[in-house]
Amino acid sequence: MGRQSEERVAAMTMDLASTNALPDDPTEAPAPKLPAAAPELEPGAPTDLELMHAIQKEDPEALSVLYDRYNGILKALILRVIHNEAEADDLLQEIFMEIWNQAKNFSAQKGKPLGWMVTLARRRAIDGLRKKQAYARAGERLQTETEQQPDAWVHNATEEEITFSDTRVLVRKVINTLPPAQQEAINLAFFKGMSQREIAANTNTPLGTVKTRLELGLKKIYDGLKELRDEL
Amino acid sequence: MVSRSYEMSFEEFQNQARLYVIGALEPEETEAFELARNQLGKPAEDFISECYSMHEAFALSLRPAKSSDALKDRLMSMVRERRKS
Repeated sequence: MGRQSEERVAAMTMDLASTNALPDDPTEAPAPKLPAAAPELEPGAPTDLELMHAIQKEDPEALSVLYDRYNGILKALILRVIHNEAEADDLLQEIFMEIWNQAKNFSAQKGKPLGWMVTLARRRAIDGLRKKQAYARAGERLQTETEQQPDAWVHNATEEEITFSDTRVLVRKVINTLPPAQQEAINLAFFKGMSQREIAANTNTPLGTVKTRLELGLKKIYDGLKELRDEL
Repeated sequence: MVSRSYEMSFEEFQNQARLYVIGALEPEETEAFELARNQLGKPAEDFISECYSMHEAFALSLRPAKSSDALKDRLMSMVRERRKS
């Protein structure tokens, strides 16, 4: 498998110090094997790993390239959680500063740079959401979004970057195999940081049903991503 | 009192692990999950690692959002300042 192919077999990560006790602490996410196709790089472009190594040596240009490559994805993730453009920009800046400051803690043996960044961005965004005690408003927004746009999994942003389009299509193909109720449960858990009880309360659904939806949905996604990896 | 002698099967563990990595387990479930994790050892750790790749997939399922050039300028200026100090 070539270097870029290996980069495509991306995944999770690392040693980043966290003040948050979310169970998705990246410190315990070593050497992932599953897919999640990362974008195809231009020939000769530095890999994410090379950029991380350069950032560890305090090369600002490397951070600049990493920013250009992933700011759109990370901002989309943040926006999906907090739904506020200005706050998303502030958070995005903080996250890239944290990448710069914490790069020394990144270990390639424990995972891929994109996974590390995604885990960090998600945690920070959910922290922000919780600090604002915005669960009630998020519930209202969810209802509005569901009414206005049934295909709620992807709802934000104009498409400025096409780099990720193929990857997105593949991943969405997997996600779209799920019934809407399963997608909704996973959406609330992953992008809103809600527990099963919170999801049950927000959707007026029995707790047992929520649990079943999450288990079935996540298993399908996990299996689908595995198949995707095998195809790559 | 909940019995600690209950042993979670690996299939049950896998189901719980997928919930665990996205933070969806309730506290009492997390406790049982951690016990099973310790009992199952390396296969459990390997499976948890694989589950984390779902994070990246979820992020990649979103359309990239545009950020302003000013944001990047501000970031790079902060980074260079930090580097000097």
